Amino acid sequence: MLRNLLNRFKSVPSCGFHTSPCLNEVQLLTRLRVVDNSEIGKRAMAEGKPPKIICVYNKKRIGYIGDRVMVAIKGQKKKGILVGLKQTQNVKVPKFDSNNVVLIDDNGTPLGTRIHVPIPTILRTILKEKTHAKGADYTKLLSIATRFV
Amino acid sequence: MNQADITKLVSKLRIKVPPTHRRLRNPLGPEGRLNKLRKTVTGLIKYERIELNYNRADEARQYAERLISEAISHGDCHKPTMEIADFWLLEKELVHKLFKVLVPRFENSSSAFTKMYKAPKPAYARAIEKTILELKGNPYPSLTTRQPNNKLLLQNVLLDAAKYDYRQTKYAEIAEKMSTPEETKNPDS
Amino acid sequence: MSLVMRKSPIEYFNAAKWIIRRECRYLSNLPEVAENSEVVEDKPPKGRKPRFLNPTLQYRHVYPEFLPDPNPKFRNSLREKLERADMLKRRSQVDIPEFYVGTILAVTIADPHAQGKTNKFVGICIERKGCGLRAEFTLRNVIDHQGIEVRYELYDPTIQNIQVLRLEKRLDDKLFYLRDALPEYCTFPIDMDPEILPEGSPVPVNTVQVKLKPRPWLERWERQELKGVSNIEEHLKEKDRVRRELRKTPWEKFDLMKDYRKTIPIEDQTEIWGEVYNQLQQMRVSRKKMSKQRTFTAPKTQLG
Repeated sequence: MLRNLLNRFKSVPSCGFHTSPCLNEVQLLTRLRVVDNSEIGKRAMAEGKPPKIICVYNKKRIGYIGDRVMVAIKGQKKKGILVGLKQTQNVKVPKFDSNNVVLIDDNGTPLGTRIHVPIPTILRTILKEKTHAKGADYTKLLSIATRFV
Repeated sequence: MNQADITKLVSKLRIKVPPTHRRLRNPLGPEGRLNKLRKTVTGLIKYERIELNYNRADEARQYAERLISEAISHGDCHKPTMEIADFWLLEKELVHKLFKVLVPRFENSSSAFTKMYKAPKPAYARAIEKTILELKGNPYPSLTTRQPNNKLLLQNVLLDAAKYDYRQTKYAEIAEKMSTPEETKNPDS
Repeated sequence: MSLVMRKSPIEYFNAAKWIIRRECRYLSNLPEVAENSEVVEDKPPKGRKPRFLNPTLQYRHVYPEFLPDPNPKFRNSLREKLERADMLKRRSQVDIPEFYVGTILAVTIADPHAQGKTNKFVGICIERKGCGLRAEFTLRNVIDHQGIEVRYELYDPTIQNIQVLRLEKRLDDKLFYLRDALPEYCTFPIDMDPEILPEGSPVPVNTVQVKLKPRPWLERWERQELKGVSNIEEHLKEKDRVRRELRKTPWEKFDLMKDYRKTIPIEDQTEIWGEVYNQLQQMRVSRKKMSKQRTFTAPKTQLG
């Protein structure tokens, strides 16, 4: 029976879908994992309704580490910062098993008081570069991190 | 950039290996390709000289060389080599030939085990390139003449004959010249 | 007339010679072959073994990145030679120990982003790839219930120290299935102590078989013939088993040229190892002496 199946399988021309591995990019409608202890984030994760991206604030519209995103979480719009990605990273930059986000408000102040997963050290430099004197101060996020890798 | 496979040790082939394999189109895909080549390799080991299309010959030649070099380096007590020989040689008596005839024949050779010649094509015809593939040290008469200046070549024979004729005529002329002055001198004197 | 007369004796002579040669060949060939076959049956254990006794070839397991890329597209003998010299120079500066896929390592790098300017990561090596100066390895660990992987270049000048915490091999060449395994199989404490093997003992193979989480998985592990996974069959449906059978390629292990194109042949390898063997051996010996000195000094401080 197997042989039969095999032959039938082989007579069919090769399948149309491509089999290259996915890129795991963070883009519009990607589901994220909230890793701080903000009330709204905790509830959303507990209910099994993780936030999804509705905007990535850069020109490519594909989120990389340290990018600011807008997420839809429990019917609200919140801003967040990507602090860990599944996608293949550069050398020495850690790659995480999930796409992690920390929620912030418009001034860059995190909504929670603690981040319970490790944060890549490269975020220090990236967030400092993104912070401008009169704009939002993202470096507050670093002070609530518990551990760096 | 890939790392080389370190689980296997192979000895270097003495033929030129192209960077990628030929696909040898087949409805069964890579399996069918190997089946085709198995037949050719079996034929080569069996008859020691075969004539076939260039693509298939070149591809089969690499596999035959690898098979013999594996047999030489591991011998017939090595189980994986035996399995490989069993796969590649469709007629099982050829496995004995491989280990008992070909291995001693090629054990100390420092060149490739096979030889490939281009076969003649019909002139003014669109024909696929044919080649002749043979194992070295086969019992057949060799395909190429050893000396390029063979006296028995037709051109050489004709040239020799022409030279001979030319020389003969020259000698005749000289002989005539030698004889005529005497004749001319005689009446003068 | 003269033509024919001149040609014929030579021709006859040649033809006769050819026939004689042929017959002689036939005659001589058959008994020769029979003799050889008898001799060979006794020979193999004596005659063929020495081919594989070249000890330098064993270095390919310890230093696989010294072998060039087998793809002829990327080969360049001069570049390879320069790279090997650079690798040896780097190795003389930093101790890059012997490790394999499955070994637990601690890597300290100089990190301009970190607070103390150094960054240490502990994890199990799940992959080694690349050759020459571009050789890479990947470490994986689970910290705070979050799986983390870091890729390092082996000859990166920012690497300050590579320490082997537990030297062992696993059953597979690549351990990507740890991403889908239960987290306890790749959780290692950050302050793990190095385990020292007794000198001269072979590298142990850890035969632990991990358990996978239920599907969805990142890859189709059932098709990869993994030895280090115990519970693949539990998660499969009938459909997956049928597909696995369909996708099997049993002929691939007989594809001699495919193997050949993936490897560096013995002759090339002996050349490469002959070039770097002495220096690598010297480095090993000097490192051993250093480590012995260290172990002697350590108890003194404890006593004092």
